[in-house]
Amino acid sequence: MSTCPSDGLAPAGAVPAVEAAVPSIDDLLAATRRRAELSARLNAELAGSLNVRRVVMRLLNLLVPERGDGFADWAMVAMADEVKGVVQLHGGLEPGPVTNVALDPHLHPALGRVMLSGHTETLQVSHDPQIDDGVDTLIPDATLCEQARTLRPAEVLACPLSARGHSVGALLLVRGNSGGFPQEDIDFAEQVAARFALALDSARLYEDRARVAAAVERSLRPAALPMMPHVQFAATFRPAAEHLQIGGDFYDVHASEEDCVAVLGDVCGKGIDAAVLTGRARQSIRTAVLFDRQPGRVLSTLNTVLYEQGSDRFVTAVCARVRPGEGGGLSIDLAVAGHPPPLVLRADGTIEEVQVWGRLAGVLADLDYDEVTVDLAPGDTLLLFSDGIFEARGRDDVYGMGRLAGVMRSYAGAGPDALCEAIEQDVVEFLAGHAHDDMTMLAMSPRG
Amino acid sequence: MRSSGCIDPGPFERAVAVRSVDDAIAWAGERLDDGADPLDVLDTIAEVQRRVGERWASGEWTVAQEHDATSVAVATIEAVDARVRDVPSRNGHVVLTCAEREWHAVPALMVAAALRSRGWTVTVLGPSASVARFSAALQDLGPDATAVSCSVLGALPAARRFIEASRTAGIPVVVGGSAFGGDASRALALGATAWAAGAREAVETVAALPSVVLAGGSADDPSAQERAALELAADHLLGQVLRSWAASSSPESAESATMGGARVAEPAGVPVAEDLVQQSLRAVIASLLTGEPGPLHQTTAWVAALLQARGASLEHLRRLGVSMETELRDFPLAQRLVREHWA
Repeated sequence: MSTCPSDGLAPAGAVPAVEAAVPSIDDLLAATRRRAELSARLNAELAGSLNVRRVVMRLLNLLVPERGDGFADWAMVAMADEVKGVVQLHGGLEPGPVTNVALDPHLHPALGRVMLSGHTETLQVSHDPQIDDGVDTLIPDATLCEQARTLRPAEVLACPLSARGHSVGALLLVRGNSGGFPQEDIDFAEQVAARFALALDSARLYEDRARVAAAVERSLRPAALPMMPHVQFAATFRPAAEHLQIGGDFYDVHASEEDCVAVLGDVCGKGIDAAVLTGRARQSIRTAVLFDRQPGRVLSTLNTVLYEQGSDRFVTAVCARVRPGEGGGLSIDLAVAGHPPPLVLRADGTIEEVQVWGRLAGVLADLDYDEVTVDLAPGDTLLLFSDGIFEARGRDDVYGMGRLAGVMRSYAGAGPDALCEAIEQDVVEFLAGHAHDDMTMLAMSPRG
Repeated sequence: MRSSGCIDPGPFERAVAVRSVDDAIAWAGERLDDGADPLDVLDTIAEVQRRVGERWASGEWTVAQEHDATSVAVATIEAVDARVRDVPSRNGHVVLTCAEREWHAVPALMVAAALRSRGWTVTVLGPSASVARFSAALQDLGPDATAVSCSVLGALPAARRFIEASRTAGIPVVVGGSAFGGDASRALALGATAWAAGAREAVETVAALPSVVLAGGSADDPSAQERAALELAADHLLGQVLRSWAASSSPESAESATMGGARVAEPAGVPVAEDLVQQSLRAVIASLLTGEPGPLHQTTAWVAALLQARGASLEHLRRLGVSMETELRDFPLAQRLVREHWA
């Protein structure tokens, strides 16, 4: 007849219980070693993630591993969401779903106290279900409460999560039948909570910034190409900062019932600053084609808008108006503003450089742009591209127009998709891992 | 790989042969309208796509024809994918990518469509996405799992970096594609959580993954320095081996091939010699990376099949091995590997 040790009351004179309560040196050493290992692991694992959900999942997995034998028998994280004014609950037996609850100071005073005061609290769950344990003042969800109670008799440890001067939430741990939390384990849990709170707060900062960045990125990324009855388009876009997915190159296809106006351009510079200007240039072109769809006029308007904005950056661009031609082909009017002229790949493998020039946009007032007309027969392809393609720098050489023409020739008649893919592959292989400028292509062929 | 029993691949194969995207898409749409399982339709496409690869290897089709056929397959998979996007998302989120230098996007598209058909949300990166982009996506999206497809041995080093990135983020990673060989051992040696033989298997595997994996320490990697040196010397070695091979096969009648703009000798009567040397060097690096000669065996078998299919003598294979061993003189681990395991 021994009293349950987790009541915290060792019966006076009960020698066997006292003996059991004093751990051996070996046990103490083993416990210390386990804490050291867990601590090292937590440091390594928590540093690797900047995603709130994944950081929480990792912590819970380390403290309560599926195989059992963890630091605690059950764990959950309550995370303050100041914007929504709720507390997000993660953890328990189902690590997946997240519950949001509004924290009520009357119903959940213990949790509120831990979060506000920054002080750790413990709470005993008696072996007798009739005794009011107050767990529901700490765990603000009925299902999670029940999960903790099934471990009775148990001890609940609630550590505050504070980072950078504000409360992030609380970490709740439960140890069931095996016993409660000795002081060393409480100290350790507080260290874990401090480390975790910092990781969690960093992840939240990152997520906030990432949301802003994602919204900007979405608005600046190239739009999907239209499906047209007469013409087939393909494009590739590989920005210098590949993980950002935006850069100083841009392309667009503006389709109407009679024709398409395709444009590919390059803002001097790369990265986010250049990308913001591409947004402006694209918008100017979008507006310009509403009034006059001839490529020369479109580029002229672009030049005027950029010049009058007084930006210190210039833009190069090629603009093509694509209309159905004779015999299932295409008739394409082209104008160029300081941009490498496009190439025509004939079905028989011949390559022609389109003979058209014009000044770059945004530097001089009132420019006119010459136009030329190119006819594509079925099997021919017109390729617009940015200088990042032929200026790609490999191990000890520059890619060059010669290599570009070589790849194109072997893809005569293969269609715009296969052509763009083949060129991109060749250039990236040539780079052999070196940094590159924005690399963009837009190809078009008569639809067979 | 299994055959997709109930679906006749004939009509799709004909559409690929005449390069009709419209016919191919119509075929897939009709199968799905008839109530076919999207996984069966995808299996059929995979089956036909394998024969396309064989036709290129045997010299029956040019690389442009292979590309054309592949773009029909891509368009068809995309059409299947568009249909399965309606499946309500009831499972988790998977980020899927092709390893860097990996241009065989078909398997990845296939896996994406297969997962979506079973209620997974899938974000596809690539083709040839960078590890930085992959890592950013893992932090931004916090997926439940990642999937890395790798078809060519040259991309295995990149695949390992993706695996490491995923594990550093604590996210389980399933890998697949022919570069991993025919069983799980190579994938697990590179640190992957699991391996899948094909799209169908990937669906089963992803569903059984743990929610969190440990980052794991850096394992002992005895060949790391030599691999780095090999990667840096790859272009130079390619030229050296090609020249040595050409000289050994027929010194007086060595033909010319274009390589990096310069004219380089090429062994007479050997088709796509540069490709063969390139693949062999990459196989050596892959074997050092995985710590087993499997990638090298796989590649010598491939070279042998390619030579035979195109009517060239197998003697060329033996000579290529000799040239490889000679030219790898500054790389002791690689040289030993070739000496002991070439063909």
